[in-house]
This record gives sequence, C-alpha cells and structure tokens, in this order.
Amino acid sequence: MSLLTTSVGSFPKPPYLAKARALHSKGELTDADLRPLEERATREWIAFQEEIGIDILVDGEQYRGDMATYFAENLDGCEVSGLVRSYGNRYYKKPVVVGELERPRSITVDWWTWAQGLTGKPLKGMLTGPYTMMDWSFDEHYASREALAMAFAEVLHQEAKDLERAGAEMIQIDEPALSTRADELDLVVKALGAVTRGLDAKTITHTCYGNYDAVFPYFNRLPVDQIDLEMSNSGLDLLERFRREPLKKEIAFGVIDVHSHVIETEAQVRERIERALEIFAPETLYIDPDCGLKTRTVEEAQAKLRVMVAATRAVKAARGLE
Amino acid sequence: MTSTTVVGSYPRIGDAPEEQRLRRAIGRFDEGKVSEADLREVERSVVREVVEEQVAAGIALPTDGQVTWSDSQSHFARHLDGVEVDGLVRYFDTNTYYRQPVVKGKVRWREPATVDEWRYASSIAGGPVKAVVTGPFTLATLAKSDGTAKRELVRDFASAVAGEVRALQQAGATHIQVDEPAITRAPEEVGLLKEGVERVAGEKGRAWLCLFAYFGDVAGILGDLAALPIDNLGLDLVQGERNWKALAEAGSEVPLTLGVVDARNTRRDDPKALARSLLALKGEVPLEESHVSPSNGLEFLPREKAREKLRLVAEAAKLVEAGL
Repeated sequence: MSLLTTSVGSFPKPPYLAKARALHSKGELTDADLRPLEERATREWIAFQEEIGIDILVDGEQYRGDMATYFAENLDGCEVSGLVRSYGNRYYKKPVVVGELERPRSITVDWWTWAQGLTGKPLKGMLTGPYTMMDWSFDEHYASREALAMAFAEVLHQEAKDLERAGAEMIQIDEPALSTRADELDLVVKALGAVTRGLDAKTITHTCYGNYDAVFPYFNRLPVDQIDLEMSNSGLDLLERFRREPLKKEIAFGVIDVHSHVIETEAQVRERIERALEIFAPETLYIDPDCGLKTRTVEEAQAKLRVMVAATRAVKAARGLE
Repeated sequence: MTSTTVVGSYPRIGDAPEEQRLRRAIGRFDEGKVSEADLREVERSVVREVVEEQVAAGIALPTDGQVTWSDSQSHFARHLDGVEVDGLVRYFDTNTYYRQPVVKGKVRWREPATVDEWRYASSIAGGPVKAVVTGPFTLATLAKSDGTAKRELVRDFASAVAGEVRALQQAGATHIQVDEPAITRAPEEVGLLKEGVERVAGEKGRAWLCLFAYFGDVAGILGDLAALPIDNLGLDLVQGERNWKALAEAGSEVPLTLGVVDARNTRRDDPKALARSLLALKGEVPLEESHVSPSNGLEFLPREKAREKLRLVAEAAKLVEAGL
C-alpha cells in the first residue's frame, strides 16, 4: 500500500443544503426537516469519493457549521457567542466557555457510524483539537489557557474513545491553531497527548496557515501517528527542511490549493507528488488537499479531487507502486 | 483628569438584523446590485452609530471604529503605490485574517486612506475623534516582499504613513494614533521601529501623537518607546501583562493609554480591581494625563460585548479619578 489518497475533512455543502441551513438558522426549518438533507449530501459525497477511488474517506461534515462551534453546541459549560469578523465581510460565531466542560453524550459518533455504514472503505473520525478549541473560544470560566485546553482535551479524549469503540480505525484531531503562539507549542503537545493517550486507532493531526519555522522541531514530538500538512499553499517550502531533519511519522501531504478557484492540472499535482517522493517513502506518504474544501463550490472541489486522484494514479503507475 | 479612549476598531455588525445592514450592503455591492454611493451611505450610518455608542458609553476620545476597513493592512495598501494586495494570512494570534500587501515597487503614499471617515466621525462626535493609522514597522513586517531589506521597507512605509499623518493633521485631526502591534513580537527590532516613528512624527504638526503596541508586552523596550517623539504611549496590559511590572519598576514620564480592559475575551472585567491596579502606579506614571482603554481594538468581540467593554473602560476611569 502506498500513496493512499484521502481528504482533510470538510467538503462544500450543495446549494440545497446551504439554503436549508439558512432557513434552519432563522427557525424556519426544524431539525427533523434538515436532517434528511444533511444525510442526502453526505451520501452524495461518500458516493463521489468511492466513484473516483479515494482510499480513505471522510463524511464531508455536511452537518457541521464552524469547526469549533459545532463542538461547543454539543458540550455542557459551553455557549455560542454573537457574530465576530473573520475577514473582509465574513463573520463567525465563537464558543464561549461559561462553566466546567462536560460531554453529556457523544458528539460525532452517530454521524460517523451512519456514514461508515455507507462504505466499505475506512472513514476517518474527525475532531477539532483541544488547543484549537481553547484558542478559538472566549473563556469566562477557567483560570488559564492551559486549564481550558486540558479541559477540552478531556472531553475530546472521551469522544475519541467512543469513536474507537464504534469501530473508527483512524481519528483525526485538527489543530489549525497549532502555530498561533510559538511559546505554547509544549501545551499543544501536552493537550493533544491527553486526547490520544491509550488509543489504538491511527491518530492524525492536521494543521495549516502556519509559521512552520517555529513549529518544525515539534512535528516529531506531536503525539500522533500522522501529520497532515498544507504544502501547496506554502510553496512546498518545507521539503528541504524535511530532507535535513527527517520526519519520524507518516505524512499526509497537501497537493491541492483549497483557497484558489483554479483547478490544478494533473501535471502540476504529479510534480508535487514527485517532489514529496524525493523525501518521503511511498508507504508513509498520503496524498490529500491542503485543507478542508468547504470554501470551494461543489464543482470546484470535485474537479480538484479528481485531478488529485488521477495524478496519484499516474505517479503510482509510472513508478510501479501498488 | 484620567480620560477614556478606545484603541481603534469596533464591531461593524451586531446580531440584530438592523445591525447587519453593512454586511448586507457589502454583499449586494459585491453582486453589483447597489452602487458605491449606496454602500457609502450605509457605511456612514454605521460610523455614526459606532461613534454614538462610544460617546454614550462615556468614551471621551472615540474613533470612527474603522468601520470601512477591510483589515488593518490592506486598507492602507490599497491607497499606496508600489503595493498590491494578495491572499489571506492569519493576523497575529487572533484567528482573523488580513489580505497581505505585496511590495512590487517603490512604496509611496498616493492618497488619503482615513481622512474622509475621520472627518465624518468628527462631524458627529461633538469632541475630538482620534485618527488611527497602521504603523510603518507593522506594515513592513506583515507585508511580503522579494528581498528588499527590512530597514528600507520600514523607511518607505514610514514615508507613506507620514503622508497619511500629514493629510490628517492638515484636515484638522488633533489626535492621531500609530498602531505598532508587530513590535510586541520583535522587540529586538526597536531600532527599526524608532526610525519609522521618528519619520512619521515629523509630519504630525501640532497634533497629539500616540504610539500603541498591543497583542503583547513591550516590557524590555519600555524606555526606548518612551524616548520616542510621541505625546502618549499605548500599552496592552492584558496580553502584555509583563508591562505592569515594567511600569511599576521604571515608571513613565510620558502619559499613557492604559489598555486594561480585555478586548480579546468576553469575560466581564472587574473595574474596581482594574482601578486598584492602576492606582498602584500612582507616582510612577502620570495617571492624571493618561487614558484608560481596552487592550486592543474591540472588533474581536461580539458587538454587545464590545458595548459592555466600553462601559467598563468608563467605569474604571471614574474609579481611578476618584482615587487620585
């Protein structure tokens, strides 16, 4: 097995679902009316991934809004804030921690179980990591950033254990905020470790938008089996560093720029994979997009994924890889 | 007397539908459904609302809330020659993004970026309105350039920012603030910052000039900053907690803007505790000539929380005043 293809997590919501979610947020559509549309979109994305031959699937997070508030909505001790600006004319809501964090019931397991039932291929369990949850939340309760990160780690550990019990073979814990503060990287390691402790499932962490210079020495210390990195958008700058300081775990290597409308050519993606193969062994190298694809249109995301799979196949064929 | 101010930005939308009219107007403008003049009218109505909210909460020296700014970097870059605006980059540790300016040629000030909005905000405030510009050191640090030495970049951006400051003071601005958050992340580069601020200060005329360093502390370079040709030094005393000790030890002769109300968290600050901490600096810093403020711009908070923080600033300042 080599050059397995996968995705980072989110896929765009088809227009019928986006419209329904807007109505739902205004109170004009019930949960019961929304759910079949979320299931329909999830089925479509699972079918698409199978059709183009992706090896490790995701459910596409059609039932999630923001990756942090989705968890906040499902935890005791957590509320959701009013709108704040993300950039330009984009706004989002943030978690507000107002009491001791507790997980009254599992958050992602029902969806994971349902979506895994649609495919014979492995489907990743997807969590937002404790450091990112902490960094992206307002905190009105805990005494310090560390205390809050560790409280999130505890409930996420419970969730990861439940996913594993349900049969998840791979659990991804996203930490896009990982590189936010260079002086808190030890806390990232500690909090992530508290989530992954005692898990038998393969663990993955994804990060993006980073000052990787400061983070680099920590890659081998992150207590996960695989790191998933945005590589295309950062111009593959990191490769030389990996040549000098080898990674001692698996890597999922982003070959698709998720921020651009432009569809990469197969030749471009092949070249990125070939460059990755100069550094990484094919058995430990996974191929995926830089980040979640939810900001692209369905058509753009599908076209990008098709190119990714075709390019990976071409590289494997040229090199005689299984 | 101890006065009150804000650092600059303010949430331009709230959760009530009426408070989201700017978001809708920008969306419709982007779709080509409303004219630029229509959009400006909505922007103005929000600037008015934001200024009125600050004044009503007891802020003596408000700003225009930076309501028209896309972000703190590209808003200026769009009015400069030699700079283009590129993709999104994370803005410090805020989980917000700015469009990154890319230096493509000699950086030059072309036209005012802030004068119209400052003038409009002034027309409704009933008192002075503080004009805010992003500082040359921060512009140079967050921009992308191909190999130009940073010193040269800071100099060029400083000349450009000096052009903006000149335009502001010629338009009648009596209070101008230069934001330099990037220095909290690179205090060893204070020499470059100094060159930039000196160049900018040279164009301030008779205006009061504040240098504000937020998103961290400047404890190790407090003396260097206080020695700059400025009238006021703005400090983040929340994320830059180490500033407290530095102030207690070294004091300050320069009046300060004391960013004590947490602008990054929704937790309600205790104005009594803040006033006590500030009064402990009595004798070390000129509290009577200083301002109390949030720790940085308020746009990272939901609108209703930003309103509450304004009231907390005013309350803390009153308690300090009573204790002096």
